[in-house]
Amino acid sequence: MSHYPKKLANIISLFESLSELERRETLIAYADQSKNYSPKEGEVFDFEDVRKDEECTDSVGIYLKMDENQRYYFKIQLGPHVQTLTRAMSSILCKGLNGITSEELQSIPQDFVPKIVGAELIRARSQTVYYLLTRLKTASQVWEKRLLRHATQ
Amino acid sequence: MFPNSNYIHPEALVSTEWLADHLIDPSLCIVESNEDILLYDTGHLPGAVHIDWRRDLQDPLIRDYIQPQDFAALCSRHGITPETTVIFYGDKSNWWSCYALWVFRLFGHTKVKVMNGGRDKWIAEGRPLTRDLPERTPSSYSIPLKRLDDEIRAFFENTLVHSHQKRPLIDVRSPGEFSGEITHMPDYPQEGVLRGGHIPGAHSVPWKRAVNEDGTFKSAEELRKIYQQELGLQLEDDVIAYCRIGERSSHTWFVLTYLLGFSHVRNYDGSWTEWGNRVGAPIEKKENHG
Repeated sequence: MSHYPKKLANIISLFESLSELERRETLIAYADQSKNYSPKEGEVFDFEDVRKDEECTDSVGIYLKMDENQRYYFKIQLGPHVQTLTRAMSSILCKGLNGITSEELQSIPQDFVPKIVGAELIRARSQTVYYLLTRLKTASQVWEKRLLRHATQ
Repeated sequence: MFPNSNYIHPEALVSTEWLADHLIDPSLCIVESNEDILLYDTGHLPGAVHIDWRRDLQDPLIRDYIQPQDFAALCSRHGITPETTVIFYGDKSNWWSCYALWVFRLFGHTKVKVMNGGRDKWIAEGRPLTRDLPERTPSSYSIPLKRLDDEIRAFFENTLVHSHQKRPLIDVRSPGEFSGEITHMPDYPQEGVLRGGHIPGAHSVPWKRAVNEDGTFKSAEELRKIYQQELGLQLEDDVIAYCRIGERSSHTWFVLTYLLGFSHVRNYDGSWTEWGNRVGAPIEKKENHG
């Protein structure tokens, strides 16, 4: 599990130790926390990417900040029609990925999703649970290109 | 209930208000069935049980529904007897509740109803939800003699004959899916279909045309205008409805069967995920027979 950032690895490890019922309860608890990981009124970010993609049920807003050590901190805003699993995953990603470097973020494989969600809950109509990590990676790439462009101007 | 609605079977619908007054009624079992797998766990109608469209209703190894003995076990687990009136509701304007209801009908359980407007309407009206799991006494549900596949379900071969004979075939997907411009539902990821388009001869009548903004069903007059006047269907017509995996077409099946009183409507649950991938299956693109 060394290829996952430490905080995310801890969350994965926790989920892997749970029974199916406990897993569901823990996912609900994370889904309940998703509002805590959405941007607060007046909060300032380095980059915001809010959109509703054609293939997603509702809008998803990615907000990121980069500190002086070039580590990322994320917030995610979800529209009201986003599914519970995706809400849970937004909390897990914000908690598990905050403070990671760009290199660490880009190297995270998608295979942690079934480790957390479990095979029973991954199915047709729940595939958007994979979508959030892609959006976080894309947002950071766009932000870094913008930084590079400014630096070279 | 909807006694003055002009629906042919108004008894198949209950209002949120009616159900709020009948939450504790031993002759009823309230069933929530959703697309969002964890939604029930976040809160549900007091006393409602959860039926998951895949885990509870589909065979885990064959693309098919559960067998009669599994259905009997499911009902027994939830304290449902053949005399119990099962009231379904759920997310997505009741797609999955209509799907679950249709599966109950496959096993001959006829005492079924839908809560008009579904979960969203209940919540919008500020009615209570709970996370408490209901304590229902297990029942003894006799194993149905057979699954009524011949009556309300269509398979690929039935649908192919239907297409060749130019009998009424309703594609309830979005216009973009029907024309072949997209191979997924708007707002959904691609679910693994190779070709876009529709079954030759199918008429496009998206399921959504049958509902109001709040997810309730349109009036009988409005529904007749869509299906009988615009499409020219007759109540005795042999009709097949399909979508991608059979849930949206269950919604249309409910509308035609219960609200408008069509006598022979079948749901092709293999739908586009079978037809669009099937070797040798003909398709049409763009033309709209609707």
